[in-house]
Amino acid sequence: MRLKLWPTLLLMLGFLGGSRPLLAHHGNASYDTSKTIEVSGVVTEYRWANPHVYLRVDAKDESGGTAHWVFEGQNAVTQASAGWTKDMFKPGDKVMIEATPAKNGRLIGRFKGRIVINGQEFKPLG
Amino acid sequence: MAKPAIWTVSLVTLICAFVLVPIGAAQSAPPKSVDDIKIDKWNSVPLHGSAYAGLKSAPAPRRDLSGIWDATGDRTNIPPPGIQPTGAFEHRAVLPGNENPPGGEPDERNIPNPLPYTPLGEKMLEANKPTGLGVRSVPAVQGNDPVEFCNPPGFPRMDLNEFRTIEIVQTADHVLVLNQFFRTWRTIWTDGRELPKDPELSWNGYSVGKWVDDYTLVVQTVGMRDDTWVDNQGRPHSSDLKVEERFHRADHDHLDLTVTIDDPKMYTKPWLALNKFPLKLQPRGFDIRELYCSPSDFADYNKDIGDPIADAPEK
Repeated sequence: MRLKLWPTLLLMLGFLGGSRPLLAHHGNASYDTSKTIEVSGVVTEYRWANPHVYLRVDAKDESGGTAHWVFEGQNAVTQASAGWTKDMFKPGDKVMIEATPAKNGRLIGRFKGRIVINGQEFKPLG
Repeated sequence: MAKPAIWTVSLVTLICAFVLVPIGAAQSAPPKSVDDIKIDKWNSVPLHGSAYAGLKSAPAPRRDLSGIWDATGDRTNIPPPGIQPTGAFEHRAVLPGNENPPGGEPDERNIPNPLPYTPLGEKMLEANKPTGLGVRSVPAVQGNDPVEFCNPPGFPRMDLNEFRTIEIVQTADHVLVLNQFFRTWRTIWTDGRELPKDPELSWNGYSVGKWVDDYTLVVQTVGMRDDTWVDNQGRPHSSDLKVEERFHRADHDHLDLTVTIDDPKMYTKPWLALNKFPLKLQPRGFDIRELYCSPSDFADYNKDIGDPIADAPEK
């Protein structure tokens, strides 16, 4: 399997980000709100943090390798109001996430709808 | 043989009726007061509208705004009203019939309730580039919202953006408004002093309050530095800005807030930013979760998501 170059490029671009605002608060501009994707995989990390709660999921890609996805939500106050907790995901959990994908094709999504954790549908509050 | 069975069934049913019906009734009875509604002791979650169903609110106490009040309201709206992601609630920068506009417009002429900008006001609006939602929003790398550098939102933005849960504390000569966003506070002097004539400009300005009746506190604020935005859509203000708030205690459990923006340099006439905006009392013991802007937290987030998602496509 060929070594993919894009992870290295991504790292290099990260260093050029010094002139960006501290909070790159992207609304709809960075996401393709016309699409919904479903990603199934295994949780590797769950960050209950501000400015955004986010979840890393390893999924299988088309060539049988691993796709490293990250899904973001809102800040911890907003997520807590929707019934989320700091413990609802654990590394190793099998999940299915419905998300809005990034416009630029990166493996980044924004939580959109259904979340299934180890076979159980997560029911948000309110 | 059938007789004993029927008797048993009837007895069991009777016992159940006496035991279970009262329990059932207790579970579905409306709360007698907001303080009866259960919440988590720590990092409490604001009550959803349905929690108050059937609650008969006591009359408003006199000259008393104290309590923990939430602006996120009934969650059938996403996002909740107090967040105001498209600008001050009475003048949202959206399109008719579209509360989630794609952004990129050069000005606000197409919004349903446009603001009365002066020529200088229009010019200053154009210089402020919001990201996120709203008709004029731009991609993150082009934005210049000072809050995105963790600068304080200041006043009146703290009423008009990320207005979540506040605590109002009343003392003999001042009222404190404690804000969740940025975990900051304002002091409203009620000791009869006059507003300062030529104050040092500050993030939150200088506020005095007077009771105009037993249920309405009218607050005037001046002296706000002009490098803050009025709301998250970059509405501008000069240092001549005067803000009036009317806090009206409608009953024991409801407070409504009206905010008027008066800045003749930027707007040809005063305008209502909030109009009787409803705030709901939270139960005693409500613990307000922290919400700070931490530069290091943002740096981590940008490394993981903020920068990659703003980059050009790889191919």
